[in-house]
Amino acid sequence: MTNLMPYARAISGRLLAGIPVFVLVTFGATALSSLAPGSAAQLILGDNATPEQIAQLNSAYGYDLPLWERYLKWLANLLRGDLGETLFSQQPVLQVVFDRAAVTFEIAFLAMLVSLISIPLAMFAASHPGGMVDRILRSVSSILLAVPTFVIVVLLSYIFAIVLRWLPATGWANLSQNPLANLRYVALPVLCLSLHQTAYLYRVARNEMVASLQEDFVQVARARGLPLGYIMFRHVLRPSMPQILTVMGLSLTYMLAGSFVVESYFAVPGIGWTVLTAVKSHDIPLVQAILSLTVVIFVVIFMLVDIGYAIIDPRVSVS
Amino acid sequence: MRPVDAHSNPASSTSLADIARAAMPATARLRFPGAGMFDMLAIAFLALLVLVALFVDIIPGLVSPKFPYGDFSQLPDLTLNGLFGTDEIGRSILSRVLYGARASLSIVLVATCLSVSVGILLGMLAGYYRGPLERMVDLYANTMSALPSILVVLAFVTATGTSVLAIMLILGILDIGTYARVAKAGVISQNNRDYVLAARAMGASDARIMIREILPNLVPALTAVMPTLMAGLIITEGSLSFLGYGIPAPAPSWGGMIAASTDLLSRFPVLIVGPTGAIVLTVYALNTVGDYLAQRLNSRERGN
Amino acid sequence: MSSAPNSAILECRDMSCLISARPEPLRVLEHIDFSVARRTSLGIVGESGAGKSMLIKSIMGIAPKSVQVSGAISIDGQDLSGMKPKERAAFIGRKVGIVFQNPMTSLNPYVPVGRQVAEAARRHLGLSREAARNRAIELLSVVGIADAAECYGYYPHHFSGGMKQRIMIAAGLVCDPELLIADEATTALDVTVQKEVLDLLQTIQEERRMSLILVSHNLGVVAGRTDEVLVLYGGRVVEYGPTAEVFRNPRHRYTEALLSAMPQMDQPAHSRLRTIPGQPPSLAAKPDGCPFAPRCAVAADICRRVMPPMAVASDSRHRFACHLPLEAQAPMRSPDPIVAQGGVGHAS
Repeated sequence: MTNLMPYARAISGRLLAGIPVFVLVTFGATALSSLAPGSAAQLILGDNATPEQIAQLNSAYGYDLPLWERYLKWLANLLRGDLGETLFSQQPVLQVVFDRAAVTFEIAFLAMLVSLISIPLAMFAASHPGGMVDRILRSVSSILLAVPTFVIVVLLSYIFAIVLRWLPATGWANLSQNPLANLRYVALPVLCLSLHQTAYLYRVARNEMVASLQEDFVQVARARGLPLGYIMFRHVLRPSMPQILTVMGLSLTYMLAGSFVVESYFAVPGIGWTVLTAVKSHDIPLVQAILSLTVVIFVVIFMLVDIGYAIIDPRVSVS
Repeated sequence: MRPVDAHSNPASSTSLADIARAAMPATARLRFPGAGMFDMLAIAFLALLVLVALFVDIIPGLVSPKFPYGDFSQLPDLTLNGLFGTDEIGRSILSRVLYGARASLSIVLVATCLSVSVGILLGMLAGYYRGPLERMVDLYANTMSALPSILVVLAFVTATGTSVLAIMLILGILDIGTYARVAKAGVISQNNRDYVLAARAMGASDARIMIREILPNLVPALTAVMPTLMAGLIITEGSLSFLGYGIPAPAPSWGGMIAASTDLLSRFPVLIVGPTGAIVLTVYALNTVGDYLAQRLNSRERGN
Repeated sequence: MSSAPNSAILECRDMSCLISARPEPLRVLEHIDFSVARRTSLGIVGESGAGKSMLIKSIMGIAPKSVQVSGAISIDGQDLSGMKPKERAAFIGRKVGIVFQNPMTSLNPYVPVGRQVAEAARRHLGLSREAARNRAIELLSVVGIADAAECYGYYPHHFSGGMKQRIMIAAGLVCDPELLIADEATTALDVTVQKEVLDLLQTIQEERRMSLILVSHNLGVVAGRTDEVLVLYGGRVVEYGPTAEVFRNPRHRYTEALLSAMPQMDQPAHSRLRTIPGQPPSLAAKPDGCPFAPRCAVAADICRRVMPPMAVASDSRHRFACHLPLEAQAPMRSPDPIVAQGGVGHAS
């Protein structure tokens, strides 16, 4: 792979496309405070706030400035790497966001790993379409797709924490401080988050592989007497990969959505949990920072997906 | 490659689909061609759900969902109100599930009406005139797909606080981009069809072409994505209520009921069955109908 | 291996293919009888829908599951019906090479071409990675790929259609098959490239002492390149015999109509080509009698009611199924072996 052009193109293309999205989201997040009934400072501080407190908050976050100025000020702060402090715990916003994001990332990454089990299942089902396994897995996946994460969370914690008592129902241990305890606490959240994901990935992968099996080159391989297992690995898996990668990228958004429920239910100190506490205390700066981070993550993920395309599909590499 | 005039002479084409169609007896599945048993069950369930949501307050004997009617946490029995048991303060779970259906469906329907109408408008204009408007619609759709819907809703709720109206509006914002994208793609593919060109040649105005010639052809694609997106809204609304930011408290909501029953889960797990079943079946039925419509749309397009 | 030297390389006896459907099964192929002797070539000709592809797929064992194949197929003297599916697939893969119609889609765009040529050799001949690679490179140069060693690692999109078809031929040859089947192998190619690829197939057949089946909708492809020809119409063999004899002396009305529809070199400019009126029969509405009767100029009542049996011509290898055959001594025709664009008209 000496030709780096496709990778450069994937990166620059996604970055360029990501800028307007970033601007739109961060600007929208800034505009949020204008939606507050009364003034934003009033909303944040509550009814008992003194005028001095309100004035202090206004000067810190610019809630008395026009929207444009407030946005530019926020952007400037972002470039300086200082988005102020959280209203509730008085910690630097950026540091809080990064700490919490690391936790969510660990869970999402593990859930993604677990969901990869859908690929071999899809290969097996696709190689015998309409067979027993295919039909059973199709039903299971459509049922799983119909169960919202908050129901999965309740059911699995009932089974594993209350009935079987295998895993702790809530709590958290830091990965760096106590990896083993971390694993125990992380197990249920990861399982809950991955179920939906697994069903979704299974569905896409199975349909994609059944479509690949109709290709002429698969007919050719079958006519040459190559075994089905070999054909699945050599001729079907790779052509299905771009679609699978796309879904994995997209599903990161879904997992982030799922993490709100999962983290709040299991008391995991991640992004979702943080947003929920921020919503409760009307911590607009913190929500704003998390929205921005989410967009950045999304852009980076799709950059990775594009690079993945360039690695998988030889036709992309040709300039 | 078929003979050129294969379409005018159906007897000559030998594709398996044609043969299968010719060989199928003309059964009386008039309105839902090709629907399987599950598709029909899903459609029937949704119809029943809509009926319940419309007429829940005139079901004879059903108690109010907001006030206790019996003992706390009664297990299910065979009376109407006790069918799913009673909740932690003695309200009928069945009554709350049925009124919850009304709440969920009305929120989702209003939100869908909002996003479909705005989405069609933006999508048609973007597809018809292209240019900067199209880029803006794309940007909006991309942005909304980049953000987890629940995060967007919570961000708004941070500023506006929770109320049913706010949630309807915020949920309505989420899917505008998707509907606009579908409408836009439809317009672009229709734009050079003969009937549009003919209408234009006869001097029809842009508005007339869009409304009379193009809009009717967008309906199948839009209805095919609608059930799946509505299922997503049901889940988002449920999650919000579960987290305590959805339908405000005394009013019944499926998500809120599930959240409330978790406290009693170790002692009375049966009490979760009602609301859980309601939301799972609804989402399953919507997904099933969505798959069915999408499949029909695909086969129609291939048939053309 | 128990290959009886005198037996045919491929033999089909009373082969039929049915697709189950209501109210009655669709008869895709009926009572197909033919054989291919060693080191000879057979042309299979027919319009799209005549059943050519299904015939090849059924022989290769890759027909869709909905198709029921009956009758006896034997390859190299071995009856295929007695074998387990896996065993049979491996046996066919080793004995028969196949080249399909569309080189654009027959190669996997995600796998280097050399590997696609080599993979069957590793599987069926048990060659090591290195040996299979060398063999693939050797065959790539045999089929006329320059710099074969370098091209081994290239992906299909680097090659033109004609080159891809040459690669497909190399892949078909990799197990040293005794029979090579070219299923409309040149239909998707430019006319000049068609001729090159056909010539290549012929050269390879002679040099490697293989048997060859050329399937085409185009009589011109088969003429002069095959020893025998089999004409399929509506899922039935309508005429079968030595190519020169069939072309010189067609007995079935359909074959005759096909020959007349072919443009000739000596035809005056702007003269109209003769065409066959009507359409090939659809599977669902197949006539009881001769499938060609609805389009036949001389069809009589019996043709519409009764399927004509196979009759034997004066040359005992020449058979045809027609109630009202042409006279034995039809005027001499010399079909042009050059690839003609006319033929039956459209690719399947």
